Amino acid sequence: MSRRADSALSRADFHSATGVLLVVREPALTSAVVPGQPATVPANPTEGVEVLIAVWDDGSVTALHGHVDLGTGLRTALTQIVAEELDVPMASINMVLGDTARAPNQGATIASASLQIHAEPLRRAAAQARRWLLARAATRLNCGPQQISSKDGVFSMPQVAEPASLAAEVPYGDLLAGQHVQLMLDLQTPVKAPQHYRIVGQSVPRVDLRDKLTGALVFVHDMRVPGMLHGRVVRPPYAGADHGDFIGNTLQGVDESSIAHIPGIRAVVVIRDFVGIVAEREEQAEQALRELSVQWKPWPGMPDLSDANHVQQALRNNPSTTRRLVDEGDVDAAMAQAQAAGRAMPRTYVWPYQMHASIGPSCAVADWHAGKGDDPAFASPRTADQMAAHITVWAGTQNPHVLRFDLSRLLGLPDVLINVIRMEAAGCYGRNGADDVAADAALLSRAVGAPVRVQLTREQEHLWEPKGAAQLMDVRGGLNADGSVAAYDFTTSYPSNGAPTLALLLTRSIAPVAQAFEMGDRTARPPYDFANLRVSVKDMAPIVRASWLRGVSALPNSFAHESYIDELATAAGVDPVDYRLRHLNRQSDPRAAELIRATALKAGWFPHTGPQQQSCRDGQPRETGESGESAQPSQSDQSAQSGGVAQGNILRGQGFAYARYVHSKWPGFGAAWAAWVADVEVNRTTGEVHVRRVVVGHDAGLLVNPAGVDHQVHGNVLQTTSRALLECVPFTPGSNTVASQEWGSYPILSFSQVPVIEVVHMPRPGEPALGAGESSSVPGTAAIANAIFDATGVRFREPPFTPEVVREALNVPLASVPSTQVATNIIAFAPVQHPEAIAWDNFPWPKRRSLVASGAALAACLAGLFAALLGGRGAIAPVSAAAAGPSIYTAATLERGRQLAALGNCVGCHTAAGGAPNAGGLKLQTPFGTVYGTNLTPDVETGIGGWSQAAFQRAMRQGISRDGHYLYPAFPYTAFAKTSDDDLTALYAHLMAQPAVKAVTPPAQMRFPFNIRPLMAGWNALFHDASPFQPEPAQSPQWNRGDYLVNGLGHCGACHTPRNMLGAEQGGTAYLAGAMVDGWEAPALSNAPVHWDFDEFYRYLRQGYTQHHGIAAGPMASVVRELSALPDDDIRAMAVYLGSFQSKTDTSAQALAQTAVQQAALAATQSTTTLPGPAQRLFNGACGACHHDGDGPRLLGINTPLALNSNLHSDRPDNLLQVILNGIQEPAGKDIGFMPAFKHSLSDAQIAELAAYMRQRYAPGKAAWRDVPEAVARVRSLR
Amino acid sequence: MNIQVNGQRHPLPTTGDATLLHLLRNDLRLNSPKYGCGLGECGSCTVLVDGVAARACVIPARGMAGRQVTTMEGLRQSAGLHPVQQAFLETQAAQCGYCLSGMVMMTVSLLRNNPAPSDEHIRQQLSHNLCRCGTHVEIIQAVKLAAVLMAQAGTADTGPGRADAQVGAVSAMGWPEAASPS
Repeated sequence: MSRRADSALSRADFHSATGVLLVVREPALTSAVVPGQPATVPANPTEGVEVLIAVWDDGSVTALHGHVDLGTGLRTALTQIVAEELDVPMASINMVLGDTARAPNQGATIASASLQIHAEPLRRAAAQARRWLLARAATRLNCGPQQISSKDGVFSMPQVAEPASLAAEVPYGDLLAGQHVQLMLDLQTPVKAPQHYRIVGQSVPRVDLRDKLTGALVFVHDMRVPGMLHGRVVRPPYAGADHGDFIGNTLQGVDESSIAHIPGIRAVVVIRDFVGIVAEREEQAEQALRELSVQWKPWPGMPDLSDANHVQQALRNNPSTTRRLVDEGDVDAAMAQAQAAGRAMPRTYVWPYQMHASIGPSCAVADWHAGKGDDPAFASPRTADQMAAHITVWAGTQNPHVLRFDLSRLLGLPDVLINVIRMEAAGCYGRNGADDVAADAALLSRAVGAPVRVQLTREQEHLWEPKGAAQLMDVRGGLNADGSVAAYDFTTSYPSNGAPTLALLLTRSIAPVAQAFEMGDRTARPPYDFANLRVSVKDMAPIVRASWLRGVSALPNSFAHESYIDELATAAGVDPVDYRLRHLNRQSDPRAAELIRATALKAGWFPHTGPQQQSCRDGQPRETGESGESAQPSQSDQSAQSGGVAQGNILRGQGFAYARYVHSKWPGFGAAWAAWVADVEVNRTTGEVHVRRVVVGHDAGLLVNPAGVDHQVHGNVLQTTSRALLECVPFTPGSNTVASQEWGSYPILSFSQVPVIEVVHMPRPGEPALGAGESSSVPGTAAIANAIFDATGVRFREPPFTPEVVREALNVPLASVPSTQVATNIIAFAPVQHPEAIAWDNFPWPKRRSLVASGAALAACLAGLFAALLGGRGAIAPVSAAAAGPSIYTAATLERGRQLAALGNCVGCHTAAGGAPNAGGLKLQTPFGTVYGTNLTPDVETGIGGWSQAAFQRAMRQGISRDGHYLYPAFPYTAFAKTSDDDLTALYAHLMAQPAVKAVTPPAQMRFPFNIRPLMAGWNALFHDASPFQPEPAQSPQWNRGDYLVNGLGHCGACHTPRNMLGAEQGGTAYLAGAMVDGWEAPALSNAPVHWDFDEFYRYLRQGYTQHHGIAAGPMASVVRELSALPDDDIRAMAVYLGSFQSKTDTSAQALAQTAVQQAALAATQSTTTLPGPAQRLFNGACGACHHDGDGPRLLGINTPLALNSNLHSDRPDNLLQVILNGIQEPAGKDIGFMPAFKHSLSDAQIAELAAYMRQRYAPGKAAWRDVPEAVARVRSLR
Repeated sequence: MNIQVNGQRHPLPTTGDATLLHLLRNDLRLNSPKYGCGLGECGSCTVLVDGVAARACVIPARGMAGRQVTTMEGLRQSAGLHPVQQAFLETQAAQCGYCLSGMVMMTVSLLRNNPAPSDEHIRQQLSHNLCRCGTHVEIIQAVKLAAVLMAQAGTADTGPGRADAQVGAVSAMGWPEAASPS
């Protein structure tokens, strides 16, 4: 049943309704221009007064707020507030957030102000509505208002009077029947005193979770509109740039013909540097995005931001204006004194660029309706809809009214004709790509005149989301002789975060001008009383496209303040908590002191005056605490370390930090207070920092929804821990564009890294509710840095505190031996013996002709050459297709033929990508030129429909086509010649029974002299043995059957046996010794750490993977899929035959496998390449979900440990690179699972780094691959 | 070529590059599996394929012939929410909720394999399902509560695809015996 609260979709709907009470306010018609702050968007007077509350005659309530729920639970808290002041059930309220057609314009959802500041009008409106209703109820009930109580939307009067039949209750809705009442908001309306709260202050369930748990329509990603098309955008190469003349000027051209082959394309939209595609289906749009050929002109590049030093330099070089916020006492005199006394402590802190890193890439739907103003069909009177073009945009924006203003500029439409409907999106904690994609959708919808959904890709969200800005904090300060603070001279440099909506820039609807805002001043003043204090902000234009991110500028500023006060405390020899308390202004901020004490108490803070558990490289600890559980490493720990994994190499530390988040324009206002105690463990071997426990003290005044605040604090703690330990945007060397396009290169905290969190809520029910969405994040990074200092004695001033940074700073001299050497020492198990090492002389190797061995062959060669010159062999007369039809063969023969075709994997080479089976056209690259798989279907003109069985037999055995021309041995007639007459008949029957497909095979393009086909007669004379298959009498029938299958139709050697200079398979021990085919390595069988045996061959051929060697991929996947047609006996026979070439070892395969996995894991801690660092994180993030040694999730597919994978032990990285680049979309078997292609998400450099890491990590006994970057480029270019 | 989704049979596309995620979201209009990365890295698209957790974004739809797929919509039982959904609701284990469906489906899968998981096991199994909001603490609580609710329900899990739960996923060093050659 629908309720009236859900029915009003625009302000006009509210104003024209009857049976409703509205509380409204005058909109802000002029935006206050505040110097240094981004302009706010004024309201449009034509839209009339803003509605805050509507109480309907069915008892339901619409409440409207201009901010949006970013996942923090704002919708629930606001609903509580309205329910409280109105005395209605929460379930009766429809809380409308952000929609521009209905909600009030309250600016962007920022600065933790939604509850603290912007809920106030709503609260007063709710109270005002209740007062009006109460007065009406008093009249209705004929009593004084003070006699009436209200609850759950019903007024009631105690039953004191007779007769009892008098109505003693009246529901709110009954008071509104047939009326339209509008009240102007009175901000002086009294509200409830906190002690009377029944709903506010209670932990209530989130109002949105049930829908989210059942897949109801909540997210903008799930919005579907009838007739909706799918759009994708192509972004320019300058990822991360937002100013400079090249913006909007860099497109050279778009070749639409490059996607002409993709069905369903409706439009390619190009407006300067804006390029978009609209298609009927999403996968069509995605394919077009990947394949559309777009040329870009060179552009200048951005400043070098490759590491913290360069970030610092870029910030120092960026032109700025210094704004002095505080200048108290005499800083210069105090500093001169401290300097003279040698007690000056200049420090620099550098914050990196970070991402919002929303889990869901941004998405929007736009629905453009062209204007009908010129359409004579629409005679007057016209509605606004009919008069003019208008658009509806469903968006996950954080600032709907600002977005509407941007769309107005982009589309040239008045704002009132733009309806931005705000839907939920993935948590962003600042402005991500939500506005960008909404504008993209608007442009594409306008272009096609239909609703278009645009989904940014993961790559685009990573590259283009406006980043959280880097920041540079310089502190000049020092101590007086008594340990008090001489001076604190703080300068913070913050590159601005305006981030104009991308489409405005790309289309040059606005000029791409760098704009400096005054944004770096949040929490710029330290929370301590320093007699000589100076605070300055360097306002500067952006370097990289940036927007606000949780704790904007305050979090880095506070990191510096709270690290520095810790440094001062240590220098002064005072406990860090005590030192803070000494310097806090307790008169002006008594809540801070209480919070700090309560937090320290809860955490079991152990007072100390220096790092408690520092490393003791020289065996002489500088200072030790008295903690009983001190992990002070001993001399023996040191020696143990150099030999392997150290005992006692975990150092523990505890750190403190405190902040009150002061935000908005300087001097701003304070949100909640927060203090952290972080307990960390630092692994000296790996450099890893683990935050074990965080105790957070939090004072947010009244907690509207205590459970909600609790969850917010948890979220802040985990996100801050993630930012402190892991997060830093990598930039591409050279162009300095954003380099990360997926989670491996920008990891965020995972479940395995989550600390224990304990929250201390200060009980302040009588105090106003303060913003809690960001506050508890603000002191976090300093607390962790201070804890690392406590553990190690090393001060880190440039987050993130990654293992490689910590390792380098600790400078623990371990595992300095070259990794290959270490690995060789460690891998002590018996290596697989290669067949050559054994006396194989008498082994029945498959016979090959040898140039040297056979004089007769030489003669034949000459004869062949002569014959060639005479013009080759004769044609065999064509037969009619009917005569060659299938009717003469039995079903058993046809079935046998089907199996044989599968054994020969005919379709593998005779089917073009996406083409009909066996219709030919597959391009095959050989060292001698390019050939194409021919059409094997019984089409008379283009296939083998005119071939007699004799012609077929000749081709299969002699490599001569029906018309007499010589075939190239890329067609392995050299193997097929061994096939029996019966089998060739069955195969012929099968091929002739296929549907005929007309498809002309492209001509071969062979290099001279190979392009002279008759010369193949000579080649055949030299290398081709057309004699029938001869069983080895000494071997079993099963072995001989295997020989027949493997070396006949199976033609394994065609790929796996290396070829000589003339392209003939080599003989003897070179048999199946590995070769390159079509960009893939058909590997030798001797690479892997575990030997191949019958079981392994059987599994591999039967199911496409084995216990000890990984899975079949690339061309071999197709082979295994085809082999599924063969009976088990044949697979066993092949396994028996192949297994007979392998040496036996005494160690069981299982034991070898386990040893290999364990030793690789151990070796990983010994090599600098495999210690935790960017490459390890890239592997873990990109590959680790599916590829792990049993310590990760169980997901669909096979996870053979990579330490056993032959491809990682090969001399060449090609197969690994093939799989990383192209993935596995058609696995060899059902169990195997699928793998994505990473070619669109990882650069060549990243893939090279990943491959090098994997080689060292999983094949530690093997030499590193050489020239991996070149190999990546080569393999990438193959397709 | 058919696929079974939440107990209903649907035809599969024979051409094109649609992923299982495209099929579920666009053709079958199921909202719960979410696009997050397209690379199987983040887990927000997780569904069950033959009872095993799988990343729908990396699976070509045409590779799903004959398979049974379960999304969060398919967990609902006649009595109401599935115990895992109920547990996430009771522990309020979501902030923005975008990763929620993936977390729920991973939990269903992990409890099928381990009805009484340790904290360590939960963390391991969820280690590649990403959450930006920092809801990890509540999610771990939800998984533990779900284990209790499932045990109370006594069922154990009779959800779709259960019979095949042991097929297909092969963890490291623990291989199926099904394909033994002897």
